[in-house]
Amino acid sequence: MSDQVASALAAEEAAIYAYGVIGVKLSAKAEVAEARGAEQEHRERRDWLIGKLAESSATPGPAPAGYELPFAVADRATALELAIHIEDGVAQSWRPVLGATRDADRSTALAALTDSAVRAVRWRRLAAVTPLTMAFPGRAS
Amino acid sequence: MLSGGAAGLATAGLAGCGLFGDGDPELPPAPDPLQPLADEALALAAAYDRAAAADPALATRFTPLAADHREHAAELAAVIGRTAAASASAAAPTGDGTLAGFRAAEKTAMTNAVSACKATTTERAGLVGSIAACRATHIEALR
Repeated sequence: MSDQVASALAAEEAAIYAYGVIGVKLSAKAEVAEARGAEQEHRERRDWLIGKLAESSATPGPAPAGYELPFAVADRATALELAIHIEDGVAQSWRPVLGATRDADRSTALAALTDSAVRAVRWRRLAAVTPLTMAFPGRAS
Repeated sequence: MLSGGAAGLATAGLAGCGLFGDGDPELPPAPDPLQPLADEALALAAAYDRAAAADPALATRFTPLAADHREHAAELAAVIGRTAAASASAAAPTGDGTLAGFRAAEKTAMTNAVSACKATTTERAGLVGSIAACRATHIEALR
């Protein structure tokens, strides 16, 4: 399960970094609060994954000092677009963990996938992107 | 009846271990554990269609949700190995056609999918997990 966990960890690290950039471009109180809450949840998932890697005595690679964003974030619109992109990506990174885990660990992985999918819906609504949902969150499109 | 039973016994005796099941009555195959999820998906899709037809103002909201459920049913049927409509029962709760009713129905459906994801095989966990997550996003989309 180490490979799947390491991939999810990389996605969570990237999400934490991205929300730092996203938050700066948002000003509406509700949107800033949403971004802060999301970042906090991604930190908690990251810590859980680090714990799992430690249990399996695999050492995670050092977090890269900087991340390459998929596109430039210049304003609210691109910040929302990045938030959607990030949550879809995190959901995709957790899906393989489901098949690599059982019981409580699988439940945690499913909760992480689901939370990202639900946040992606909220960001799509704020960005007025339709459709709000997709049939298979976590499956690469 | 008597001769049938005797023939069954004779066959079993001749075959030694009844490997071919000649003497056994036809047993229906056990339903796949994911069949209830497929039935539920079709029932929800049909309920959204009915609600959208009754109130066209809801169609833009409900049509994509119905489409998601149909994709789930098709994918589950492929995994189960039966046609989607073969055993669809209308027994799954689908609410009363209101937004609150659909939210409640999706919540029940999500809980069922979460349980199924926990119980299923390594190979099926990803698919069932995505279906559970999708049902959760439907609750959010109905807010």
